[in-house]
Amino acid sequence: MQKHEKLSKEEELLAQVLEECLEEDLSFVPPEREISRKHRFSEEFEQAMQSIQDEILEELRKKEARRHFSPRYGQWAACILVFCVCGWLLYCRVGGLTGSSGMEEIADTAEAPAEESVMEDPDSGAGNCITDGQENAEPEERGLETGASEAVGEPEGKDYCDQIVYPARDQEVPEQLETVTTRVNCPVLDEDNPVLMLTIGNTGEEDVRYLDHYELEVRLEDTWYQIPSEGEWKGEWLTLEAGMAVDKAVDLSEYQIDYDASQYRLVTYTGDGPLGVEFTFGEVFRKTMEELED
Amino acid sequence: MLLFLALLDSPEEQEKFTEVYEQYRHFMWYVANQKLQDAHLAEDAVQEAFLALARHLDQIEDVHSPRTKKFLATIVRSKAVDILRRSKPEEELDEYLTNQQTGEDILEQYLTREYYNQLISCILELDDSYRVVFEYKYIYQMGDAQIGDILGISAKNVNVRYFRARKKLQKMIQEEVDRFAKA
Repeated sequence: MQKHEKLSKEEELLAQVLEECLEEDLSFVPPEREISRKHRFSEEFEQAMQSIQDEILEELRKKEARRHFSPRYGQWAACILVFCVCGWLLYCRVGGLTGSSGMEEIADTAEAPAEESVMEDPDSGAGNCITDGQENAEPEERGLETGASEAVGEPEGKDYCDQIVYPARDQEVPEQLETVTTRVNCPVLDEDNPVLMLTIGNTGEEDVRYLDHYELEVRLEDTWYQIPSEGEWKGEWLTLEAGMAVDKAVDLSEYQIDYDASQYRLVTYTGDGPLGVEFTFGEVFRKTMEELED
Repeated sequence: MLLFLALLDSPEEQEKFTEVYEQYRHFMWYVANQKLQDAHLAEDAVQEAFLALARHLDQIEDVHSPRTKKFLATIVRSKAVDILRRSKPEEELDEYLTNQQTGEDILEQYLTREYYNQLISCILELDDSYRVVFEYKYIYQMGDAQIGDILGISAKNVNVRYFRARKKLQKMIQEEVDRFAKA
């Protein structure tokens, strides 16, 4: 007989009596095996119970997928981003109204050393990974390149880490579609999270098709550029079942990367369109990786 | 249906639910059949009991404990009572109007060791619709809202039924004590 907490002495006695009566009633119930020999559940009952259990299982799977891809994080990130952008715009506006000359002064002083260093060492662009290809090129070359790109209508390439990168096909890529979501294991890679893992989740009730391939893109001056991979392209279309998720380890060694660039994103393709998820590198991790590369 | 399924939060709970089903479904059917005397209605009671259980699986700590067996017996009995009430709608009274019985609530006076045997015999005779409310409240210490959720009635109606049960039990004990005194 168990001790009942939160009950008065009288109530405890009543609980004890109730338990004793219940035990007496149940003492007449034969063992489960014996009952099962005498009674066989109807087909309707078995089917109904099976469907209940199936629904429980299905609900759990969905819940697991939802938990894994909680949209709350995305909403929070969007709110913070909007707040930062609004704050910056307001700051610029107020600064422009009250002290535009001061701002110009700051800009002037910031530009001056840069100009000086370019004058002193025109090849310093080699040390800095991100440079504008147009600026580094000889005037004749620049003219040829511009002419060529105008002639065929090709997008303008950019010199990035000793390679030319071109603007990504889709500049605006959502992080999630109606039923498919992408995430990275850690939006800021650091020493604790050095391995990048891309996860694609299907939160819908139907299977979706996805391309077993991802593209790495870097954001340079408000434009996303696709970084060419040194690895072999072996993408094929696969099926992701409803409520399931798939993890893909991203091998960053296949790319020439500038760990100082602020934003990166991984883009993958589903039957419903492209999906992209952004990430960046922590400062300490950045230095470590640069040292390793050196 | 999805509303109650939403409360099975983890694979462990799902596993627990399945284990309870596998281990106790025949026992629960037997308890329901004792009350309903109808094999098919008893199956309905078991099914409804499992639906209710999915919402209150937290009440079960150890699937194999005697407490679990008792809790399942209470749930399935309360579902059997529901089925009986539904099959005899003329007996169903408005819960709000039936609390008009007069008389002082002096049940506490009888809840002593002195009246232990009378209490036992009265509880065994008490209507199951009242007894299950007592069991939920005192053995499993559930709140009115939780009990109402299992019984499919409002918390207010649980309270009404509880006071009716107290009055009924009090009346039965008074009669039992009087009979004992006369003898």
